[in-house]
Amino acid sequence: MNWQDHLPALLLAVPLFGAFLAPLTNIGGKGLRNAWFLLVSAAITVLAFLLWVRVGSSGPLVYVMGGQAWNLALPSGMSIPVRILMEVDAFSAFMVLLSSVAALAGAVFSVAYMERFSGMEKFVALYFLMVTGMFGMQVTGDFFNFFVFLEISSVASFGLVAFWRDRGEALEAAFKYMLVSTLGALMVLVAVAFLYSRYNVVNMAALGKVIEWGMVEKTALVLFMTALAMKCGSVPMHMWMPDAYAEAPAGVTCALVAVSQASLYGLFRVCFTIYGSFMGSPVIPWVIIVLGVLSMFIGVSMAVIQKEIGRLIAYHSVSQVGYMLLGFGVGLLAMGDAKAVADYGFTALKGGVFHIVNYTMYKGLLFLAAGALYYATGCRNLNDMGGLGRKLPKTMALFMIAAAAIAGLPPFNGFVSKLLIYESTFAVHPILSVFAMVTSVLTLASFVKIFQSAFLGPQLKKFADVKEVPGFMLGGMTILAVAILFLSLFPTWSLNHLVEPAAKALLDQASYIGAVFASAATGGGL
Amino acid sequence: MWSKVLTGFGYWDVYAWLSFFLVGGGMVCLIRSLGRTDYKEGTDQDEIFFGSNPVPEDGEDLKVPASSAYWGYTQALKPFYEGLVGLHTGMATDYVGWYILVTALVALLVLV
Repeated sequence: MNWQDHLPALLLAVPLFGAFLAPLTNIGGKGLRNAWFLLVSAAITVLAFLLWVRVGSSGPLVYVMGGQAWNLALPSGMSIPVRILMEVDAFSAFMVLLSSVAALAGAVFSVAYMERFSGMEKFVALYFLMVTGMFGMQVTGDFFNFFVFLEISSVASFGLVAFWRDRGEALEAAFKYMLVSTLGALMVLVAVAFLYSRYNVVNMAALGKVIEWGMVEKTALVLFMTALAMKCGSVPMHMWMPDAYAEAPAGVTCALVAVSQASLYGLFRVCFTIYGSFMGSPVIPWVIIVLGVLSMFIGVSMAVIQKEIGRLIAYHSVSQVGYMLLGFGVGLLAMGDAKAVADYGFTALKGGVFHIVNYTMYKGLLFLAAGALYYATGCRNLNDMGGLGRKLPKTMALFMIAAAAIAGLPPFNGFVSKLLIYESTFAVHPILSVFAMVTSVLTLASFVKIFQSAFLGPQLKKFADVKEVPGFMLGGMTILAVAILFLSLFPTWSLNHLVEPAAKALLDQASYIGAVFASAATGGGL
Repeated sequence: MWSKVLTGFGYWDVYAWLSFFLVGGGMVCLIRSLGRTDYKEGTDQDEIFFGSNPVPEDGEDLKVPASSAYWGYTQALKPFYEGLVGLHTGMATDYVGWYILVTALVALLVLV
């Protein structure tokens, strides 16, 4: 037996182990705790990479927990899978890989960023719990476990957003986040209950095989869709996001970006894999498209007028999620029509998938750069900043890479995914591309505002003693900057190896469903 | 072909862009090299021109604050922004209200 067969289980076990052991490492002092933080973060990145390679070479991986054998999905002649089952296809593996990179960058950054604060053993434990929940959402093969992992990541996130509990704003942001997240998670649970009551299964592949387009299924889809759209920050359910992202410590916000992408993953898994071609109405794709356009435009419009750097970048998160919703919405609209898929649907999906990885990398870097500015100056308000380019040249250079990428300036990666989205959505209706392009212009305008306000201008006396941030913080930012540069310089490789397999997996409903039932046949021999 | 992305409608070539910036950078350097060479650091030539007024010592008195950025844009769109900002009340009950409203609307569209 190859140990890599157990990668899906290890991916959850290692961060969970890291979380529960974190308080104990504190006994060995700051050095041991930080070493543990970095070691576990690096280990999960390696595991995520190996899982991505494995799925890329041998197709979807099914892993059964608590059964007779790890690959026996249907024991003793059962017709439906009842065990805790994980299923990793190219889309899941892609999400896991980029989430692990964001989590690693956040961890490296936090080692220095959080040095001034006490309670770090709790911070590390919550951080790894959040990562466990995020990975769980991305690799689980059944809906009930999806709900459980959603709750794990959410509850850990509430604690991390409220980590600076001496700040009233942080507590308020965590409370609001908790309120809307809990409501959303409850709706996910109700949707799962609807499907379970109808089909007696919670396994995603089994549901995808038998689902029909009736009243119960429609209700469940509405509940899934709105709850997960709210969790990933879609307008007009986005208002928790600027509060939570701006108040959480910067390393956490970097990982929270990936956590919100896990909800987006859930939304697309439901729409494409479970309902997919059974969805007998264009209403849902159009709702996703409209939510995408609203998110893009409202998010960026609010960002332009912000003065607090964290809130400005957080509103951009709302706007960038809109691009992904638009791309996937158009892809979903084309699904079931081979000509539409070939003409524009697959291009839109590729754009959406590419934008997920681009967004996670540059948005993570932007939040870390905002954290670096706060660390160096103690300021969050752009009105109080100025002339910091001379004092923080490395931070400025890293910020510039992320800002140019998100604004879609050539030759950075941000434009590649946007180009795919512009061109494919134009085929559905030109107004969609117009909104996407106006959003891009306003994105550039708001990052010019940050750059001018924080880094340019005359040197301020109050910042005479400001020094460049510590190496670990620069290291965390550099991880993401290198990823951005790689995606920018090798867009074809990124599309062929990262993006296309993930986009194809989303369209290939039969392969996801077939993997579970095929593993029943092969696993029986073990 | 590591650099070219075909979109089905057009293409994106990162190395074409890099070549463009390289040529542009070369032209900037060329133009700069044609400039005057008699500039002397530390003399009057080095002074900041501040509308013939004395230059304030602290940069705080010189800088343009972030809230002044895009003043014309926000003024021109004042009604839009008043409405938009008004919707962002910061109240937790409103956050839940928006969620319920969207769920109800989508349910209406899908179920009816």
